[in-house]
Amino acid sequence: MTDPGTVAVILFLVMTLLLASGIWVAVSLLSVGFVALFFFSPAPAGSLLASTVWDASWNWALTALPLFIWMGEILFRTRLSENMFRGLSPVVGRLPGGLLHVNILGCGVMAAVAGSSAVTCATVGRMSVPELKRRGYDERLTIGTLAGSGTLGLLIPPSIMLIVYGVIAQVSISRLFIAGVLPGIMLILLFMAYVAVRAWMDPKVAPPFTERLDLREKILRALNLIPVLLLIALVIGFIYGGLATPTEAATMGVVGALILAASSGSLTWASFTDALMGAVRTSTMIAFILAGAAFLSIAMGFTGVPRVIAAEVDSWSLSPYQLLVVLTLLYILLGCFLDGVSMMVLTASVVLPMVDAAGIDLLWFGIYTVIVVEMAQITPPVGFNLFVLQSLTGRDILRITAASAPFFFLMLLGIVIIVAVPGIVLWPVELMVSR
Amino acid sequence: MRRALDTLYVGAGVLSGLFLVGIAVTIIAQVVGRMAGFTIDSTETAGFCLAASTFLGLAYTLRRGGHIRVTLAIRHAGPTVRKVIEGWCLLVAAGGMAYFLYWSVDLVWFSWRFDEVSPGLMAIPFWIPRLAMAVGALILLIALLDDFVGLWLQDEPSYEANAERILPTEDEVGPSPVTLAKDAEAGAR
Repeated sequence: MTDPGTVAVILFLVMTLLLASGIWVAVSLLSVGFVALFFFSPAPAGSLLASTVWDASWNWALTALPLFIWMGEILFRTRLSENMFRGLSPVVGRLPGGLLHVNILGCGVMAAVAGSSAVTCATVGRMSVPELKRRGYDERLTIGTLAGSGTLGLLIPPSIMLIVYGVIAQVSISRLFIAGVLPGIMLILLFMAYVAVRAWMDPKVAPPFTERLDLREKILRALNLIPVLLLIALVIGFIYGGLATPTEAATMGVVGALILAASSGSLTWASFTDALMGAVRTSTMIAFILAGAAFLSIAMGFTGVPRVIAAEVDSWSLSPYQLLVVLTLLYILLGCFLDGVSMMVLTASVVLPMVDAAGIDLLWFGIYTVIVVEMAQITPPVGFNLFVLQSLTGRDILRITAASAPFFFLMLLGIVIIVAVPGIVLWPVELMVSR
Repeated sequence: MRRALDTLYVGAGVLSGLFLVGIAVTIIAQVVGRMAGFTIDSTETAGFCLAASTFLGLAYTLRRGGHIRVTLAIRHAGPTVRKVIEGWCLLVAAGGMAYFLYWSVDLVWFSWRFDEVSPGLMAIPFWIPRLAMAVGALILLIALLDDFVGLWLQDEPSYEANAERILPTEDEVGPSPVTLAKDAEAGAR
């Protein structure tokens, strides 16, 4: 058996070669998984490939994904993007940074619906990129706000990441959902503050909002948003209330979106099939990557690479704060190769006991992990939001990474804040439990 | 031949869409069933629809440029180098897919031979939904080979020619702030 350290380096090089030469991400993940299994483990690569990809592909939790994407595609083909702009723009238009805040708030709203960072990014991006473009906004900030705020989907409930964490760490999922709310709002505020400061320093990045409206007009415009917000609230409410599973809620969302589209007169056979086929393309792409990532995770598990890295950290015997610094670095590093779920699942068996032993609250650690994973979504070469934005804008990955970098550091700041004030995570849960 | 292949990709794509609708339909059946007092377990059928939708949509999504990849090197390469890199991408992907197809067929055969059924209420024989995985992999393999052949006959592979973009693609190297004026210029070209 080759030493896992060497294997890690080899796999890293193979992954870099495949991705850099333009091989599709899902195929690259599958190929590196194959190399890991075939050359560095005694496990049967072929049959594991077929069975792992199959298992990852009919996962019940994943069925919500194409439905939420479809719902987004339907809403996208109504006048939602215009209504969102018309409704939100008078509210945030006067703030420095203007309509860029619509990106951030739109992602916050959509994240609550979609529960997936790539979907949030794709849905809001499809709506807002052309609009902001048309109005002459700075492209880097447009892409950056989307990449950063798109990751809110991991944190703001119903979050798939929080569900995965809850299962592996044996922490209550409803408590995790409640713990995620304030940090999510905090990140939104941090992003908005950053955009405001940028716009204040350089007004060119955000053209002034020129429309002058009286109060009546403002209210009329905001009313346009109500049906959609109601639909979103309904979807979330049903999940929160335990009345429906995310997939059932997503189905209601699709039906609701169809009704909204029909009542606004924008539902035609052409728009229906367009939306459906658009959903096919996005959900196929994401599901294929997730299947590839699942296979890579299994393969990596067999080589022992992730375990060796985590064990190395364990042997340094650090204080809780030092441990968190090291873990943050570790997750950011792992996030360069692995998707968030794989990262969490692979490291959990080593990291969670370590964290527990260091006296860190596992509920708090769940929120911390998800924010770090959010950061991993915008680090290359494997950053799902970067890929989504790449396919949306046609810009190259370096440019998108550079545009996203400030938001990466804002999330780092977010982590520092929840380390300094753990109450942001824990207070709402304590309030809930005491009742 | 060209028409037959395109029909195959689009046909599989439409099936993929129908299976996506199928997820919603099974869920609605479950909810309605629950309200009417009888049990329909759609956990598995929804999962099977999801898998079928994903695999049958693979080739269609490829042709429409829906699968994500890092295009940095390719965008900046000259026409000849670019063709070589595209050829390499297509060959690696086709090789990988052929391997995956072989083992998918093996898995289908295995589940058929040993009568593997799903653990849920419906006890669906596993070979049926797994067949979608093998068929989808086969169609994707055909599409990759199709593009590999096409690479020598035409300038651009289908997934680059048909890709949808919201912002205009940039031809020049390096970051430059894109202004409205430049877009107007690009639009006029």
